[in-house]
Amino acid sequence: MEPTAARPLRILCIDDESRILRALKALLREHEVHICSDPRQAPQMAKDFDIDVIVCDQRMPQMQGIDTLREIKNAHPRALRILLTGYADLKAVLGSVNEGEVFRYVNKPWENAEIKALVTEAGRIAREAPLISSEPISEREAEEARGTVGVLVLEEDAVTQNRLREILAPHYQVRFANTIDRALMLLEQHETGVLISETETHKQGDLTQLLKALKLHHPYISTVVITERANAQLAMELINEGQVYRMLLKPVRMGSARLSVDSAITRYWKLKRNPRAVKRFALGNAPSFVEHSVPVSEQLMARIRALPTRIVELMKFNG
Amino acid sequence: MVSDIAGTKSRASCNEFPILADNSRGIESHMSPLLLTLIFLSLALAGAAGFFYVGQARLRARITELEEEGRKKEASQAQVMHTTKLASLGQMIAGVAHEINTPLGFVKSNAEVIGDLLTEYEQAVAKCMTGVDFLLNADAATFERAKTAVARVRMELANAKGLVEARELLTDSVDGLKQMSALVVNLKGFARVDRDGMDLVDLNDCLQSALTIASHQLRDRVTVTRELGKLPKVRCMPSQINQVFLNLITNAAQAMGEEGRMVVRSRVLTDTVEVSIEDNGAGIPDNVLPKIFDPFFTTKNVGEGTGLGLSIVHKIVQGHGGTIRVKSEVGKGTTFVVELPIQHKDAKK
Repeated sequence: MEPTAARPLRILCIDDESRILRALKALLREHEVHICSDPRQAPQMAKDFDIDVIVCDQRMPQMQGIDTLREIKNAHPRALRILLTGYADLKAVLGSVNEGEVFRYVNKPWENAEIKALVTEAGRIAREAPLISSEPISEREAEEARGTVGVLVLEEDAVTQNRLREILAPHYQVRFANTIDRALMLLEQHETGVLISETETHKQGDLTQLLKALKLHHPYISTVVITERANAQLAMELINEGQVYRMLLKPVRMGSARLSVDSAITRYWKLKRNPRAVKRFALGNAPSFVEHSVPVSEQLMARIRALPTRIVELMKFNG
Repeated sequence: MVSDIAGTKSRASCNEFPILADNSRGIESHMSPLLLTLIFLSLALAGAAGFFYVGQARLRARITELEEEGRKKEASQAQVMHTTKLASLGQMIAGVAHEINTPLGFVKSNAEVIGDLLTEYEQAVAKCMTGVDFLLNADAATFERAKTAVARVRMELANAKGLVEARELLTDSVDGLKQMSALVVNLKGFARVDRDGMDLVDLNDCLQSALTIASHQLRDRVTVTRELGKLPKVRCMPSQINQVFLNLITNAAQAMGEEGRMVVRSRVLTDTVEVSIEDNGAGIPDNVLPKIFDPFFTTKNVGEGTGLGLSIVHKIVQGHGGTIRVKSEVGKGTTFVVELPIQHKDAKK
């Protein structure tokens, strides 16, 4: 058998429009491209061909892209999922991050060079980075995780703070920060697996750049964004450049908040055991995201970079 | 009118004074009751004149006020019409952008890929030519080697799939370009940028345009059935009628939430054409139904709707001498019926 890296990547393109499929197949011809015009067959195909990267359209008559991706995630979790979309639809974007856990969003009409680079990068990650298991962790472990791994809330609105305190404080180690400075201080002092943050506050202004910068250097911290100003464009940006784990709309609901934090903590715990898997959640090296990020001040950036990395093996892996 | 009468009166009263003066000089010592009456009358007239003058000024101010109000109202109505037109323009642009996106996506991609494929093919051809040159210049010693080389590159060229693939992508691209130009034709037809005003129009065309423009709101979730009868042409302002249909279709789409069915019908009656748009959406409650054509009435949240859509629809239909009716049942759906006169006489002009 040939070494892994030498084999061409196996790509599955899903779209109801056959001309899009032919265009993608021709564009990605250096890889082994499979095409599928009926999303209902896609999960089986992904499994059968042991696909590395999925490129899936959002709007299809038989089945929406996010539902397709969710089913593929369950049937063949190893593949990284890219969603193609012509039209920023908030519901779809939120669904794709919260349920489909997409790797990236690509807008139609796409840039050829960009999508090629993205697919190559996604394929590399899908091959190199192991999966974290989808098995639930034992109750004893979960308890340990909840006791050890902190949850940090960056939010200045007192109402939301109180709401989150009510929901989360009985179960997790929750800490609250009103300012970026305080948030970084807490990150320096405490092992933190989940950051719950607004995208913007009155006093601190835009927080998305901070979230992106943090992700760039500390990808094992899951970001749960809570926002009032739901906006598809911003959501897509946060996925593509910030690899946001979950996005919740305000007012925050008890069920979704607990579910998100629980699964984020579990992921962190599993990553601790299997640090190489973090690549799957990192920003990667594809040109589009590294270039865009991060107009955060040098000083802030240095502080973010210097935050203690508590998953030791991660340093080796990244270095 | 009022101001004219007042003006005449006051001028007339001023003319009384010279006559009065002349008379008083002639009969100085005899202050006859007649004179007293005259004086009293003239004073009364002067008072009346003054009163009228003041009244007139007040009236003038009030009239100016009313005129100002009228102008403001007109301006705000024009503003509202304009805003709604812009909103429907925005909707139209979003619709077309979405429709054009898919063909644009693959045509753009294909153009680049065809370029790459041609480059690859050119390289294969160049290699073949080099081989042929080698063969042409070969002497007895190198001939066999040249022959083998040429045979190999010839095989490579024969197996190159680039041209076939490029041809396929080109066919798709021509297809996509046709689709995009059809959309632009449709768009021009919808907006009537080239000819605003009255025209003879097949309302089925208007319905089709409006459905195309709204298709990004319908696709995937709303099944549209068209039951379009053969129609005589109707004299109307197509840009406005398109706006009416787009508005009704959009409303229907929004009333249907996740999934739904919409039936669009048209038929000819005695001297009118009837178009109906039926949805199986949420329906309109009885207490809301009488208010739906009122300007600024909306059930949407602040910032989501102007509450002007249906009032403008109503205004446009009325302006065409037509009628609009609505039938709705909560939980079952809503049907809007627009009837427009055919106006055969006008049509002949």
